[in-house]
Amino acid sequence: MYSSIVRLQNTFGFFTTVAFAVACIIAASDLFSARTPSVGVLKTTNVQVVRGRPHYYSSKKEEYAIIRFSLDADLSSLFTWNTKQVFVYVTAEWPSAGGSGSGQNATNQAVIWDSIITSPSADHLANLGPVAMRKLRRSAAGKSIDPSRGRLSINNQRPKYQITHPSSKVANQEDVVLRLHYNVQPWVGILTWNPDEDFLKWKTLKGNLSRKFALPGLKKKDEGKTGTRS
Amino acid sequence: MAEQLLDQARDIFEGQIDFEGQKLAELLLNVALTLVGAVACFVGYFLQDIKLAVYLALGGTAAVFVLVVPPWPFFNRNPVKWLPVGGTTPPANLVVDDKMFK
Repeated sequence: MYSSIVRLQNTFGFFTTVAFAVACIIAASDLFSARTPSVGVLKTTNVQVVRGRPHYYSSKKEEYAIIRFSLDADLSSLFTWNTKQVFVYVTAEWPSAGGSGSGQNATNQAVIWDSIITSPSADHLANLGPVAMRKLRRSAAGKSIDPSRGRLSINNQRPKYQITHPSSKVANQEDVVLRLHYNVQPWVGILTWNPDEDFLKWKTLKGNLSRKFALPGLKKKDEGKTGTRS
Repeated sequence: MAEQLLDQARDIFEGQIDFEGQKLAELLLNVALTLVGAVACFVGYFLQDIKLAVYLALGGTAAVFVLVVPPWPFFNRNPVKWLPVGGTTPPANLVVDDKMFK
């Protein structure tokens, strides 16, 4: 502490220590906030199977399932001061034909829809155009957190992704369910997904499975005409 | 003249402080920066505002830099009192490097 340079170095050195300690405390504070998300409705509204090509120049034809769905969920308890954004996604799952031990996946799982919900503190990172960005910022003006963004109410949503299977066959598949997942991305700390079991104050996401449904057969009249958008 | 100016500039740049000042600077640094971290953490948590916490921490740290780094006068209130030059005779029988000083 004899000269200015030594004091500068010591101050900066201790600043890094304090910053690290504060970051640890912020990360740990997640454990003390209850996460009690709930799902009201998760159901399919319209399911189709069409034939199409994986890309424009492909000669291979695959079957694609287009699953429209409705979702009503309350994820507002996931939004705390340390939440940067929440990634919400819906998967379709169905058991493999051979079951486990057949060399295939025991359960097939494919994402059909996803969405990023930013916290007001992370709005500037959202991948939006200037108009949508202004609207997003105005929606939470003066708020440091906005749990109301976690309330999802989506009706007859078109899937973002049409799904298929490595075998290219999905038509007439039975026992398909939709499942809602979330992934909390904090400012500091670890990524967390919806837990399979209650963990301290973090409760499981109940009712995140839809009823079992079957994918329909191919529509005959669409055959050979419908391409995919992917 | 130029040498004198250079000396002054070097003194200001080096910013030397006395021993008591060094002790005080270290104490101030540790206490103030810990306080800044604690305040930022608590305020951020209770207002649920992480941006505020970051700004408080960074602003507080900048203030601590201003408080500790420059050689403020209160770090120089106990200057070392050197003995006068040539004021005393060396003690008798002083041995340095096997040579007797007289």
